[in-house]
Amino acid sequence: MRSGIRPQEHWRAKRFRYRLEVLRCSSCGTVNMTPRRVCRRCRSTSLVPERLPERARLLAFTEVKSTTDIHEETAPYLVGLLEFEDGTRIVAQLTDVDYEELRPGMEMEAVVRKIAQDGESGVIVYGFKFRPVIA
Amino acid sequence: MSRVKDVAILGYGGYVPRYRIKASEIARVWGREDDALPIKEKSVNSIDEDVITMAIEACRYALRRAGIDLRKVGAVNVGSESHPYAVKPTGTVVAEALGIPPTHLSADLEFACKAGTEAMQMIAGLVSSGLIECGIAVGADTAQGRPSDALEFTAAAGAAAFVLGRSNGDEVAVIEHMVSYVTDTPDFWRRAHERYPRHASRFTGEPAYFHHTVSAVRALLEETGLRVSDIDYFVFHQPNYKFPYAAAKILQIPKEKVDPGVVTNVIGNTYAACSPLGLVRVLDQAKPGQKIVLTSFGSGAGSDSFLIVTKDGLERKRNLAPLLDSLIARAKYIDYARYLRHREKIRTS
Repeated sequence: MRSGIRPQEHWRAKRFRYRLEVLRCSSCGTVNMTPRRVCRRCRSTSLVPERLPERARLLAFTEVKSTTDIHEETAPYLVGLLEFEDGTRIVAQLTDVDYEELRPGMEMEAVVRKIAQDGESGVIVYGFKFRPVIA
Repeated sequence: MSRVKDVAILGYGGYVPRYRIKASEIARVWGREDDALPIKEKSVNSIDEDVITMAIEACRYALRRAGIDLRKVGAVNVGSESHPYAVKPTGTVVAEALGIPPTHLSADLEFACKAGTEAMQMIAGLVSSGLIECGIAVGADTAQGRPSDALEFTAAAGAAAFVLGRSNGDEVAVIEHMVSYVTDTPDFWRRAHERYPRHASRFTGEPAYFHHTVSAVRALLEETGLRVSDIDYFVFHQPNYKFPYAAAKILQIPKEKVDPGVVTNVIGNTYAACSPLGLVRVLDQAKPGQKIVLTSFGSGAGSDSFLIVTKDGLERKRNLAPLLDSLIARAKYIDYARYLRHREKIRTS
């Protein structure tokens, strides 16, 4: 194994990575992105499953050139700060777009892509990225 | 085979990646003449795309048009010759990403370029028999072509998906009849652990593509009692730009009935997605009440042929997802070096 992607970690996160399913805290409103029993902010145990919208607005973006082994094959890659209609913000990789084409305020949509792979023999990790909306 | 009992296409979706490489760019690298290239350009998957991600894209569009409750999906079949894993299913990732509950049948199929229509046949059988209420059939490929081989000019990437179920009054089309015609014909193959397929050059034409394609269409017309003049559109597998028209000529089919379903000149041969994407393009422009004959071809070899009749739901559902032409139009051209990187032909370890 080249990089140590642990299949079980990916398996635990798949609802969020595949379908943007989160746990929203009904006490403080915080969005918890990975499976957990207590809210990461207020420690409440009142967490309600929710699916984030597929579309979001791009607020800011940058290009990542130095990366770890598991992202080596896709580097350099773009990362954006995105905001959903309800104000929830998320940092995600961007795809199917060049840096020069990006503009703050662009409408983006979530798609599932390869986000990492453990060489040619290890697991492939799939998860959401955002791309410009296709009309 | 026989008449299909109450199987409708409830939704359809096609997906073509953003990237293209011109055949002339491949010819430049390998010192070939520009005037005899099999197509104009072909689609290339992004670095982060494979059969699983493209299948998900096509399924999302198909489900958007179908508008069904995901709990009704009883099967997800994905046909491809480039499944990302040799051992680990494609269909389970696709289904989880779509949010389909675990209580469904998942199957990955292979039969070279006809694995997509094979998936349609399987789902149609399950729906028709009443074992499932709805199912999703997918054809998807990131086709392999050895550098400098003739296949490299055409082997492309894409996906098409169809949600099949019982007629519900709002269906896109119905599948009225289907036949298969298969023989042992060694025209093209890839052995286990090999990166690229091999083929028998011109042998892939007459005894393989043409014999099976023409035989399947003739069997379908004979069984249904229909003539070429009764059909509005013919969609063929299209390994290059010439073959579908040559098959049409043998069957005395007018060119204008073939044109709408030919996409290979601008996206290449998307293998298991190839003729299904031709069907997607026809559905993007057909009117209700029209007859379509879809005929795939897969090396090895065989053809599946379907009689599909469009219904009133088509025009209402068509614009619920991007049309295939809009996906084709977002082309971003890359050079051969970048193409090698996208296709993982540069080994870093």
